Amino acid sequence: MNNGDSGARHVKSALMRESLVDRAVIARSESRVRPILPHLNVINIGGSSIMDRGASALLPLIDEIVENQPRHAQLIGTGAGIRSRHIFSVGLDLGLPTGALATLSAKDAAQNAYMVSCLLARHGFVYLEAPFIVQLLPAMLAAARGAVFNGVPPYDLWEHPPALGKIPPHRTDAGAYLVAEVFGARKVIFLKDVDGLYTADPVSNPDATLIPQISVEKLLAMELPTLPVDRVVIELLARARLAKEIQIVNGLVPGNLTRALAGEPVGSVIHA
Amino acid sequence: MPKGIHGSITPFLGEMLLNRSLDDPAVMRATEESTDYPILPWANVVKIGGQSIMDRGRSAVYPLIDEIVANLPEHKMILGTGAGTRARHIYAMAIDLGLPTGVLTVLGTAVAWQNAQMLHYLLARHGIPFVLPEAFNSLPHYLMDRGAVVTQGMPPYKLWEQNPAIGRIPPQRTDTGCFLVAEVFGARKMIYVKDEDGLFTADPKKDPSARFIPRIALEELLALDLDDLVVERAVLELMANARHIHEIQFVNGLKPGQLTAALRGEPVGTVIYRDKTQVRWEGSQR
Repeated sequence: MNNGDSGARHVKSALMRESLVDRAVIARSESRVRPILPHLNVINIGGSSIMDRGASALLPLIDEIVENQPRHAQLIGTGAGIRSRHIFSVGLDLGLPTGALATLSAKDAAQNAYMVSCLLARHGFVYLEAPFIVQLLPAMLAAARGAVFNGVPPYDLWEHPPALGKIPPHRTDAGAYLVAEVFGARKVIFLKDVDGLYTADPVSNPDATLIPQISVEKLLAMELPTLPVDRVVIELLARARLAKEIQIVNGLVPGNLTRALAGEPVGSVIHA
Repeated sequence: MPKGIHGSITPFLGEMLLNRSLDDPAVMRATEESTDYPILPWANVVKIGGQSIMDRGRSAVYPLIDEIVANLPEHKMILGTGAGTRARHIYAMAIDLGLPTGVLTVLGTAVAWQNAQMLHYLLARHGIPFVLPEAFNSLPHYLMDRGAVVTQGMPPYKLWEQNPAIGRIPPQRTDTGCFLVAEVFGARKMIYVKDEDGLFTADPKKDPSARFIPRIALEELLALDLDDLVVERAVLELMANARHIHEIQFVNGLKPGQLTAALRGEPVGTVIYRDKTQVRWEGSQR
C-alpha cells in the first residue's frame, strides 16, 4: 500500500503525474515541430578526409565558404582526424572508458574548429563551443551569416558505451547532424574526400558505382561494411523530424560545396 | 589478434586505428579486447528522484538528508537529482509551442539543476558541493575530501539529444545521466531512490493488482514488454552494452533505512541485473 502522490506538490500540466516512460504518454506527446533556424546550412569538414590534408585541401574550401557567405548561412563543423586516432590508441591502452575517449577526442575537433575560425575570422566567423551554440548562434548568424563549431557533440563522459568495442559512437558527423536536426536546418552537407556513397569500397573495388540518392531503409538493407559518415548518423536520420536528408560531397573538388548549397545534385543524398 | 607481452595495444592495432574507418567491425572488435580501468571504483552513484522525492518537499527530503549524512563516513556518494513536475510542465508547454526535442532537453536540465541546487543547500553545512558536468574534473577531490557531491542527473547533451522513436519527450533523462556517470567511473553501485518499493508489473499508483519484482535479469525484463517501467528505457539499452555496471537497484526513499541497506549491499527493493554469462558479442564473455 502506498500513499500515492498525497505528499507531492504538482504543477498543473498535460503531463502532470505521468510517467514519462509510459508508452501511452509517449505516444500522446507526438506533435509538429517548428524549425528554429530554417535558413541554416550545416557543413561538416571531414577530419581525416579534409583537415589532415592541410592547406592544399582546406584553403580552397575556406575561399569557397567566403564566396557563399553573401547568400547562405553556413555553420561549419570540423572533424577530429588523425590526432583522435592516436589518442584513442593511447587511451585504450590505458584502459580508459568510452566516455573518457569521447572527452579527449572532442579536443582534437575543437583545435580544428579553432583553426578554421582563425582562417575565417576576417569575415566575422567565430568558434562557438556548445553552450554558445545553444545561446548565441542566431546572433552570430545575424552578424556574420556564419560560425564555426566543434563537430563532436558535448556527450563527453556521458557518451554511450557501444555494443561492440570502446570507440565513441557519436563522433563529428553525428554532432553536426544533431545540430542540423534541432535547428531544422535547410541542408546538412558532409565534405569528405570521396565523391559520395558507393555500392562498395571504391578503393578496393573498381566496379563500385556512386549512389546519387538512397533512402535510409534501402541503405541499411545493403549492409555495406563501411560508410563515408559515422554509422550512427543513419540511425539518427531515421528518427528525423526536420533534417530529413544528408548530403555527402567531395570537398576536394572546387565548386561542390557551392553546388550543394544551391540545391544542385552533387555527391550522394541519403534521406529518411 | 596478436597481443603484446603485457596485453597492451600492439602497434598492429595502432595501425588499424590510424588507417581504417572507426565503424569498421574489425576495428571495433579489436578495441573490445582492451582492458577497463575503473576510474572511481569506490564511488556509489545515488539518484534522488525528482517527482518521487524532491517534489514531496520536507517530509521526504529531510529524512533522506539525515540518512545520506549518516552514511558519509562509510560510503562515498555521487548524488544525482531527478527533475519532476516542473519538467513535465515545461515539456508540455514546449511541445505545444512546437519546439524540438533538443530544446526540451535544455529546459528539462534546468529543473534537475534546481533540485540539485536545493539538495546542495541542505547538505552544504557538511561541505558537500554541487558539481556541474563541466567541473567533473574536481569530483574526485570532493568525493575523497567531503564524502559526497551533488550533481544534476541529466546528461549534458543539451540540443544534441537524439529524437525519441515516437513522440517528443527526450529519451535520455536523469535515470540515464546517473547511469552513465556510474558506468564511466566504474562505480561500485548505481542506486535509484524513488517512492515505490521497486519495480512492479504495472504502475502501483494506478493498478492495485501490480506485482512486486525483487530481482530480475535485464533480458527477462525486456521480454515482459511492460508498457511502463520504474526506469527510463534508455538505461536498459545502455546496460546491455555496459562494461562496468551490471546491476542497478531501486529502493523506496520514503522508507528510512532502504538507502543504507542498498549501500551496504543488502538485498532491498528491486535489482535489475545483466546476466554475465550472456555473451556481449559473439566470442566474448563479459
